[in-house]
Amino acid sequence: MRDVVITSAEFFSYAVLAVFAQNAVFTRALGVSRLVQLVGDDRTSSWLFGLQLCITQVLVAPIAWYAGSGIAPLANRAQLRPLVYIASIAVVCFAEYAVLWLAKGLPHRSALLRILPLAALNSCVLGTVLVERTQSFTLGQSWGFGFGSGLGYVLAVLLVTEARHRLRSKAIPEAFRGLPITLVYIGVLALAIYGFTGHSVIL
Amino acid sequence: MRKVTAELIVKDPAKFAHHDRVFLNNPVVMQGMGLAPLVVLATSGQNAVMLAAAVALLLVPSRVVACLLSRLVPLRDEDPSQEELQKKLLPRALIYAFSPAVVYLAAYPILNAVFGTGLLSLGIYLPLLTVEPLLTYRFGRVQETVHKAVSKGLRITVGYALLLVLLGCVREWLSAGTVFGAAVGSRALLPMASMPAGGFIVLGVLCAVWRALAKKRREYLEKEARSLVAVNHQKEAEHGE
Repeated sequence: MRDVVITSAEFFSYAVLAVFAQNAVFTRALGVSRLVQLVGDDRTSSWLFGLQLCITQVLVAPIAWYAGSGIAPLANRAQLRPLVYIASIAVVCFAEYAVLWLAKGLPHRSALLRILPLAALNSCVLGTVLVERTQSFTLGQSWGFGFGSGLGYVLAVLLVTEARHRLRSKAIPEAFRGLPITLVYIGVLALAIYGFTGHSVIL
Repeated sequence: MRKVTAELIVKDPAKFAHHDRVFLNNPVVMQGMGLAPLVVLATSGQNAVMLAAAVALLLVPSRVVACLLSRLVPLRDEDPSQEELQKKLLPRALIYAFSPAVVYLAAYPILNAVFGTGLLSLGIYLPLLTVEPLLTYRFGRVQETVHKAVSKGLRITVGYALLLVLLGCVREWLSAGTVFGAAVGSRALLPMASMPAGGFIVLGVLCAVWRALAKKRREYLEKEARSLVAVNHQKEAEHGE
């Protein structure tokens, strides 16, 4: 019983850590390119993207943890890292694809199938996995961190989507409208996060 | 300006600008690709040069490999059907992500030999380059030829490296008052520029300035081209008489 409590406490505390103190977007700028495109793209629903990203992160974390432990004793592990972790993500992709393919009646099925590669092969997923390895998290910690990282990304997407209309306002100088002002806005939000954590994130 | 260029600009200015990946249609400034390493790591000229070298080694070879392999599952239409996308998008995405990872196997020892322990300061952002949209964005687009992959890849590399080094120097100057380690000015103006938050803000301002300059340049080119074509027409008319 005690183990279960400790494990779940660890899971949730690392999830909270990943949402706020080490938010993927605001402290490490992971997946910003994707975020900027997502906010400008009206065809892709932010909610479905976020959902898919969270599921992928949770599924990838244990596979990548075992794969990472597998290559840890090798001398050329730094060289192998991208290949091994992308392979882990690919395994998860195939599993998700199979589930979506079989579940014919699922709502938003075709949209989910289209979003799948975008939500899996981006720097937020790979970056989180690499951070878990460089900070030597245990399996439970990695799992919580992966889940929280997905939630933190959704939080960032919602914050930026919320401000989208104001960022297109006529009051903004023309050269700043669109991408530049979005970047400045994310920068200001990132400063707000430093307000309660300080900037001490290990990159 | 050559006559052919002038005629192209007059006929289709958007296409001409689209072709230029270095200044007028820089992938970072116009489409927002490859932002993560720029924001977090381009904090000094030295870092920027290391990143630029890594991108130069990875981008063109991986794009060619991916281009060749993705012929197995080609996207032929400009606007593919839902069915086709559902079947081909995932395999194409995996091909475009695995190719840089394979090229990385060869690129890493070269970078390691050149930069040594300095490479460690790039942390997770070096392996992260393999899924950067800059390298993988073609997976959802129409199948390209090898020739196009090489020429576009080279132009994008130059455009990205230019922005990396520019941003690296600006941020190093703002945060430490130096450029490539040499002192410029008497003090640091904005120490925040070395943090990711400062990176977002400085990059945002840089993008705005770049966009304004690109717009000015486009307008200038269009004006020049129009007058050149008009002069040529006049000359031809005179010869005709």
